[in-house]
Amino acid sequence: MDDIGILDLSVPAATSPDIAPTISPIPEAVIRVRDLVVGFGDKLIMKGLDLDIHRGEVLGFVGGSGTGKSVLTRTILGLVQKRSGKIETFGEDTDAMTGLQRRATERRWGVMFQQGALFSGLTVKQNIQVPMREYLRLSQRLMDELARLKIEMVGLKADAADKYPSELSGGMIKRAALARALALDPELVFLDEPTSGLDPIGAADFDDLIATLQKTLGLTVFMVTHDLDSLYSICDRVAALADGKVIAAGPIEAMLKADHPWLKAYFHGKRARQLQAPQRSTLP
Amino acid sequence: MRPRGFRITSLVSHIEQFALRSVPIIVLINFLVGAIVAQQGLVQLRQFGAQTFTVNLIGILVLRELAVILTSIMIAGRSGSAITAELGSMKMREEMDALKVMGLSPIEVLILPRLMALIISLPLLTFLADMAALFGGLCVAWGYGGISPEAFIARLQTSISLSTFMIGIVKAPFMALIIGLIASVEGLAVQGSAESLGRQVTASVVKSIFMVIVVDGLFAMFFAGMHY
Repeated sequence: MDDIGILDLSVPAATSPDIAPTISPIPEAVIRVRDLVVGFGDKLIMKGLDLDIHRGEVLGFVGGSGTGKSVLTRTILGLVQKRSGKIETFGEDTDAMTGLQRRATERRWGVMFQQGALFSGLTVKQNIQVPMREYLRLSQRLMDELARLKIEMVGLKADAADKYPSELSGGMIKRAALARALALDPELVFLDEPTSGLDPIGAADFDDLIATLQKTLGLTVFMVTHDLDSLYSICDRVAALADGKVIAAGPIEAMLKADHPWLKAYFHGKRARQLQAPQRSTLP
Repeated sequence: MRPRGFRITSLVSHIEQFALRSVPIIVLINFLVGAIVAQQGLVQLRQFGAQTFTVNLIGILVLRELAVILTSIMIAGRSGSAITAELGSMKMREEMDALKVMGLSPIEVLILPRLMALIISLPLLTFLADMAALFGGLCVAWGYGGISPEAFIARLQTSISLSTFMIGIVKAPFMALIIGLIASVEGLAVQGSAESLGRQVTASVVKSIFMVIVVDGLFAMFFAGMHY
């Protein structure tokens, strides 16, 4: 029944300027986080955080280093325990889930870790096949075929299939990790700093790749990033994290107008201005 | 829903790593220890004109205690450290997290096959160790003590029984479990740094060897209590 939602994606989310997303009635939240509190020891990282990830959008998630962007991702993924609050994934409360439901949910998302986290003892092809082996009963030939398809899809050369992660460059590791995240054709993809450590050309290519895949596969993408280029070029909405809360969420235009000091510093800093300059008229 | 093939492959490859590849070192070390015990037995017992009892000494000491302890210590150093280092580096590279978010349990996928492989491998290695140590003893008894192989084997048959052999072998799976559990727990305790990896590998080996010896002592008390 949820599959109907995937087909609705033809409506590009970027065209509707929904500045306050919780008010607009159309978007369906695949992930809904309410009043989340997460802490380590006596230090609180999340202090009553609210966040929605809408179906079919590319949500860019920004925040200063150490503010807990990764912690939030890991909490949604169930790798970090929350103190209190509510997380709904695909409309179901994670606290009320049985183990089986949890596993069913895990099948519907793919995760790309910052360093790739490819299994170092397995080749790229085998890495992509790990989730397939676990959840599907397929012949080896079909799995090889599927792995080849995924490898092609993320723009890797066919000979990368039989290489081990240690033999790959940083960019190739990112692509291979994305291929593995897409192995089970997920509805939702978590990307942790997908363009970090890539050269500008590689980063732009990767942005294009994510945008293309998002459009063709109808993915929902949650992307933790520091890359202003990515935010401008592929994100439908941006959410900003500071002081353990989402201080603002909306399209990039809304972010530029926001007057929270951190947002101002982030979007109107030296680096941001250099990016915006060519977009405006040419200055003397 | 859960294909077992993946785990079987993993189990077989770990048995190859733990058992097959450690055969040469286990055989060599036990051969040497058997030879050394035989030489000392001959020298000491000769003073009482009882050097033929060297065979009893070797038979009982090797089968009941030495072979299984030496094998366990070797495996703790060789495979226990490898397990801790592998699991630890997987944890450092977020490979464990990657497994979890795919809905796979690291315990089931990574730890169980290694534990099973150890439990299967250690008794097999202990058997080989028994044979190697007895052979080492036989060689020294023949060359140094003038006890012919025929006499050695005949004497051995009267001095040991199946239960002597079984007491040694029965301990092996328990030792494997101890080594595997300690190695896995230490591996999972690795934090982000390389220093922490080194520390946990050291802790894994030291704790395993210590526990192997303590548990062997407990077994000795248990068997003594049973008049075995």
